Amino acid sequence: MFMKKNETGIPLEASEKVMIVISYIIMSILALCAILPILHVLSKSFSSASAVTSGSVLFWPVDIQFETMKYVLRETTFLHALKNTLIVTFFGTIISMVVTITTAYPLSKPSFKGRKVFIMLYIISMVFFGGIVPAYMVVRTLGIMDTFAALILPFFIVHFNMFIVKNYFEGLPESIEESAKIDGASDIRILVSIVCPMSTPVLATVAMLYAVNYWNNYFHAVMYTNSTAMQTLQLFTYNTISNTQTIVERLVAGNYANVSIDGIIAAVVVLSLIPIVALYPLVQRYMVQGITIGSVKG
Amino acid sequence: MKMFALKSKAENEIQMHSQLGAYMREHYLMYIMLIPGLFFLIVYKFLPLYGITIAFKDYSIFAGNNPLDAIAKSEWVGLQHFERLFASSSFIKVLLNTLIINAYKILFLFPIPIICAILLNEIRNKVYRKLAQTAIYVPYFFSWVVTFGIFYSLMGTYGIVNTGLSALGFERISFFSDTNVFRGLLVFTEGWKEVGWNTVIYLAAITGIDISLYEAARVDGASKLRQIWHITLTGMSSTIVLMLILKVGYILDTGFEQILVFYNATVYDVADVIQTYVYRMGLGQSDFALGTALGLFNSVVAFILIVGANTVCKKLLHRSIW
Repeated sequence: MFMKKNETGIPLEASEKVMIVISYIIMSILALCAILPILHVLSKSFSSASAVTSGSVLFWPVDIQFETMKYVLRETTFLHALKNTLIVTFFGTIISMVVTITTAYPLSKPSFKGRKVFIMLYIISMVFFGGIVPAYMVVRTLGIMDTFAALILPFFIVHFNMFIVKNYFEGLPESIEESAKIDGASDIRILVSIVCPMSTPVLATVAMLYAVNYWNNYFHAVMYTNSTAMQTLQLFTYNTISNTQTIVERLVAGNYANVSIDGIIAAVVVLSLIPIVALYPLVQRYMVQGITIGSVKG
Repeated sequence: MKMFALKSKAENEIQMHSQLGAYMREHYLMYIMLIPGLFFLIVYKFLPLYGITIAFKDYSIFAGNNPLDAIAKSEWVGLQHFERLFASSSFIKVLLNTLIINAYKILFLFPIPIICAILLNEIRNKVYRKLAQTAIYVPYFFSWVVTFGIFYSLMGTYGIVNTGLSALGFERISFFSDTNVFRGLLVFTEGWKEVGWNTVIYLAAITGIDISLYEAARVDGASKLRQIWHITLTGMSSTIVLMLILKVGYILDTGFEQILVFYNATVYDVADVIQTYVYRMGLGQSDFALGTALGLFNSVVAFILIVGANTVCKKLLHRSIW
């Protein structure tokens, strides 16, 4: 559709040609800015200790080695942290989706009695936040400190996501549901077998938003967990970057001559990126779709 | 409602109630469906509102059977904690930091995705367009911790940037501990992570513009810049305004996790914002009352900003944020 501009047959003006050249140059620079840092850490994680510390690694591994990766996988709690994050993301996303859908559906029906009151409750709790300290006191009172429940509870429903789903449900044609109602189907039956299948694009988008939220969250892990057993991937990664002293001790003790601290930091970053990058085609498909559905509006 | 108009008010209400009862019996499943969400609202959104009273009490977390019970058992002290808060130099500092850092972010970062979207739209090679678009928003999906790891690797004391600087004969820069450059680092990394995603949002707005407008403009001999100004930017204007209002409305909510991950004690003077200070005082140093008081201040201002933003949105664009 971007070729259509030329269909009038008017040749490109000089100003337009200049514009196109500028576009190519600037967008190429920006694309490189986004990609090269990732390539740099990737290269560092596979380069020898001497190459990393002397700063000779650019965007390709120097003296390629796999010891750094081996160290992270064997000598650290990386795999355990990965497991924790997988559990939180998997169960968190499922729970959040169920709650989001079951909340959005009644609220999307104009005839639903009490709709305005419930929507008002959600809007109030969206625009006014009790604060970090009171939320912390609630989690402590519930007795779920240092458990998976404390990491899932804060994202149980993200209001913004619920409103996206609700708005989408509102736009579905009423007629199909009506005919099911005449056949005597219950509200749950209609939701599960008619409304949800008609809404797969928006549900996929929202599921993706939840999964990325759970996967990337650092703050709730810092606030609500304290044991190594409950450490999530983000917390592990942060601790690795900021507590280099323990790494040095372990490197010396474990006889890892070809592994450097900077190499380990790079390797941890790379390893925690793998799932996001692996799912990227899926993520980007549904996220971009989400924009067109109208995610700018809550 | 018209059909009830002739009936008396009392009859009217009886009928409404019995109708409501019948409706609820028929659709009881819909009400059951709402329970999990309401449970969340009560536990994680409304119960903390009760917790706000900590700001007005001499709170001791061990005064009761649990932290919430302790609130009821603690003595009221009035506005003592607020007086302590507003009298401290830290309050002004974190307030100013919050405003300055966000102002920088809006000033420097807000126009970039708009320009990017316009430029990206000029690229006619579809494959290249797609590639560039996909590349620039990869970082959006990275966590702040990972982003920190990447930039620590690039801009740490012995990172590639400093190696380059020293090779060229310049002094090394301590990006993570130099108070002169730390805010710049925050703005830059925010840009790295968010610009691509915002570009995609604006690009969606551009694709909604009627192509025939450009054709007409070309026939009239309008230059490229005039076309961009009069057609592209005008067509994007409502999205631009909406994004700006949202940015200003959510000023107090953004940047918290980024700063929490990036900062350290050496840059508190320039990077400590309201939320990080609440976290450090309220939970780190267990000054629960002060943390709650500042948190309440933050919530009230945020509330005014967001409701204000929504009012402006309704007036200008005839749409609501929520």
